[in-house]
Amino acid sequence: MKTDFYKMTIGEVSEGLRNKEFTSLELTKAFLERIKEKDKEIKAYINVTEDLALEQAKIADEMIKKGEGNILTGIPCAIKDNIMIKGVKCTAASKFLENYIAEYDATVIEKLKKSGAVFLGKTNLDEFAMGSSCENSAFFPTRNPHDLERVPGGSSGGSAAAVAGDLCVYALGSDTGGSIRQPASFCGITGIKPTYGAVSRYGLIAFASSLDQIGPMTKTVEDCKIVLDVIKGKDKMDSTSTDSIKEVKMDKIRIVVPKEYFGEGLDKEVEKSVKDVIEFLKSSGAEIVEVSLPNTDYALACYYIIAPAEASANLARFDGLRYGIAFDGNEVDKVMDIYLNNRTNGFGKEVKKRIMLGTYTLSSGYYDAFYKRALKVRTLIRQDFEKVLEKVDIILGPTSPCLPFKIGEKSDDPMSMYLADIYTVSINLAGVPGISIPCGKSSTGLPIGLQLIGAPFEEEKLFIISSLIEKKYGRN
Amino acid sequence: MISEEEIRKIAKLSYLKINDNEIEEMRDKFSSILDYINKLQELNLDNIAETANLSKTDNVFREDVSEKKDSEGLINAFSKKKDRFLEVKKILYNED
Repeated sequence: MKTDFYKMTIGEVSEGLRNKEFTSLELTKAFLERIKEKDKEIKAYINVTEDLALEQAKIADEMIKKGEGNILTGIPCAIKDNIMIKGVKCTAASKFLENYIAEYDATVIEKLKKSGAVFLGKTNLDEFAMGSSCENSAFFPTRNPHDLERVPGGSSGGSAAAVAGDLCVYALGSDTGGSIRQPASFCGITGIKPTYGAVSRYGLIAFASSLDQIGPMTKTVEDCKIVLDVIKGKDKMDSTSTDSIKEVKMDKIRIVVPKEYFGEGLDKEVEKSVKDVIEFLKSSGAEIVEVSLPNTDYALACYYIIAPAEASANLARFDGLRYGIAFDGNEVDKVMDIYLNNRTNGFGKEVKKRIMLGTYTLSSGYYDAFYKRALKVRTLIRQDFEKVLEKVDIILGPTSPCLPFKIGEKSDDPMSMYLADIYTVSINLAGVPGISIPCGKSSTGLPIGLQLIGAPFEEEKLFIISSLIEKKYGRN
Repeated sequence: MISEEEIRKIAKLSYLKINDNEIEEMRDKFSSILDYINKLQELNLDNIAETANLSKTDNVFREDVSEKKDSEGLINAFSKKKDRFLEVKKILYNED
């Protein structure tokens, strides 16, 4: 096996396996060794599932021998720890679920298992996927492989760091307001939030159900497409899932650059890198149109009403009786005291804050002023995208307004942390697909990412244009 | 700034306990977010429909037949149990 086996893409690994250059078991053992050595620093994994991985690798090798399986057979990957694998701990990086063992497979896991995938472990996240830095994990922060003093982004920061640190070939993340794209940008990898409904959410621990999507986080655009092809599709366990991803053809590329995405608060180096890509696309023959997405400015406020409101309802199920950690002592004698004890001790600060925020905006007297207004603003944001994407193929802008920040830098000021999501949340509100790909580095060597946004179920267009950009700018 | 009383009320509705020494920080952080989300009051939203859900699918129906599934794992996850039953504290009581 090559000494830099860990850098290989899905295509390269698959070829090596089929050509018998190495076996899945050898590769899996090599990755597990590498994790033991490197993850002490990066801390991408909450739980390394060594036994499961070795067992799956043996199954995969059998499949390959018989000529069965698909391109993902035998390829070691990492799974965000809010996606359930039967019989494996699933913590959502919360103390509440510290010892919770998943009772069933998420649909995406079932699909990967059928493909003969190898699960190396479960990756760190902000508790219940609420955060943009992985600092809200109840266990430990994950570090950015490009600079260990900096955050990997979040909430899928563990998955992003595992891919960027070559601790797996690819990973799965989930994205409610940018949780795949922002860490992909911070870690210099590729990540897509598919159209709402493209991938089943069954077995994903719910944060905000009208916004959540599972998606791949990979080393290349091609890999991203490969994984999405395997995990997508209608599922009877998620009534919002559909088989709608379209085949598309593109003759002339028309790209929209919204002026609102280059406003105040955008880091100068990020701006320069993204504008450089726009020039490149123009010189390659793409038509660039400047338009306005007038309600962009309201997207973040809208998101921070809708997401916490849905979270407060989704997290109401956590009482610590039927599952999860129980903190009740013998001093209480009413069931209500058990709820209060378990929820107060089990949830971290950020999660409690969001539950309370959602409870507030849904409560009598505030429902009309906040929640109902936000649902209307969501319509306006959706219409902004519909109008623009009727005429052009793609919207392009930065993924994050800032470069990866230092651990602790933003943790005291909630608004400055929330502003890191300013370009990503509107995509979830509108339900459209968005991909983040690397487009260069800052003068200090930190990755910069750009985001491409497409019409519903036109992921293919995102991949076509991303590949063009990747060819020119390379992968990090 | 949001009042202490309101914070206590929201905590109660959320089934969360707040310690006295956490109140001030909570008021502070809560207020900065509320100031920000208040931005939506600027917009005129008359005659705009609400979007609560993006799903375009119709209602999904299935035959109402029971499936037998293994419940051992679910029961093992109970925080307290007697035999195969979930054990909880008193459910009926007088509110004090």
